[in-house]
Amino acid sequence: MNDTPVSKILVLDNSTEHAQLIKSFCDENNLVALKVRNSSVMSVLRSNVDLGGILFSESYGDTPAQTAAIAAEIHAARPELPIIIRREQQATLEDLPPQMHRACCAAYTAHDTGALRKILDEYIFCLIYPNALLRGIAEITTSVLATQCKSLTVRLDTPYIVRDRVIFGELFSLIQLESAWCRGYMMLQTEETPFMGLLGKTRNTQVGFRDVNDLLGEITNLIWGAFKNRYIGDAARAAAKQVQVPVIVNHKHRYISFGSENPQLCFRFTLTDPTSDVATTLYARFVFNLSWSPEDFKEIPQEAAGLVESGELELF
Amino acid sequence: MAQILVVDDSSTVRDEVASFLRKGGLDVATAVDGKDGLSKLQADPKIKLVVADVNMPNMDGLTMVEKIRSELRNTTVNLVMLTTESSPNMKERGKAAGVKGWIVKPFNGPSVLETFKKLAT
Repeated sequence: MNDTPVSKILVLDNSTEHAQLIKSFCDENNLVALKVRNSSVMSVLRSNVDLGGILFSESYGDTPAQTAAIAAEIHAARPELPIIIRREQQATLEDLPPQMHRACCAAYTAHDTGALRKILDEYIFCLIYPNALLRGIAEITTSVLATQCKSLTVRLDTPYIVRDRVIFGELFSLIQLESAWCRGYMMLQTEETPFMGLLGKTRNTQVGFRDVNDLLGEITNLIWGAFKNRYIGDAARAAAKQVQVPVIVNHKHRYISFGSENPQLCFRFTLTDPTSDVATTLYARFVFNLSWSPEDFKEIPQEAAGLVESGELELF
Repeated sequence: MAQILVVDDSSTVRDEVASFLRKGGLDVATAVDGKDGLSKLQADPKIKLVVADVNMPNMDGLTMVEKIRSELRNTTVNLVMLTTESSPNMKERGKAAGVKGWIVKPFNGPSVLETFKKLAT
């Protein structure tokens, strides 16, 4: 697994002149770019629930009015996604029509990609995640999935940064992560039907949604426990009485808000039954909405945390 | 009548542990949280070993084992925690309450079966 998180962005820019420059910029700056024709923007947006932002061009539509309408439509549908507009002359939002001005968060020109990098750091890669933490979460989560879904193969993509707040699938779990250096939540999201199908195959019996709920709950519990043992220790006690903010879930729009603008750190797993190649996706998303101090991040030394292997009985 | 009481709010864990122990020849009862665990233990004098999670709703596992000793005054039943928790403070609290062993999840049946058999007889 690559330690540096990436972010998936939509590139809404038809310029052939700047296409190579944008592609190179994305490759060099950990962006996974999806180029989209203006006729299919909204359908692509609907089918992607894990985006980090949008690179937009002021000449994307056939006319300035159409360009403005597209920007406004995207902003109305997904206001949490930063729309970064490429201007021909000056990197400013000031002279844009009001509709565009409201929709876009920042501007850049093709001649100054350094400024674009700063914009990305402000709007997408705004939280620093220690490599040891990324590696640790990947190890913990992969190991838990492997033990709980024994006959399935587990594949993990490079972790990525998500600004979207759309919930993937029909089923998710949520658990608090509390420490002296981080406060927030972990969510696991998955699709019920394929997950149920795989679970039924592994158990060789008919399973219902409650079985899936319960397994997802136990996977969440195991990841949470391992995270706590490795990174939090007893600091949770000190952090337990701090402020909370409401979490809003809108079922109709499959949307969850943690009350902050912070992006989510996302790990995407593919669970596959090697005998049938049937697969399902599980997202582990971390949102540190209440507190994030990576400078205080520390790993509890293994020798202190685990004298006895997990699963082994430590007799007193 | 059972020899072992498995207390966990997760039915995945309850089923996995109970099914493994039954296959190993042990009589197993289950409870869904600490409160349920206390009442099942009180109702069944044959139980010799309680295997309990720590983090559970209604009543957590450590409170349950403390109550087993203090309120039920049951000083003979063996207590083992099966939990994601591994902090020294938690273990100390468990030891003080008379917990005999601690397992950090996930459950690895074969490595503990023989010891469980001894503790349950």
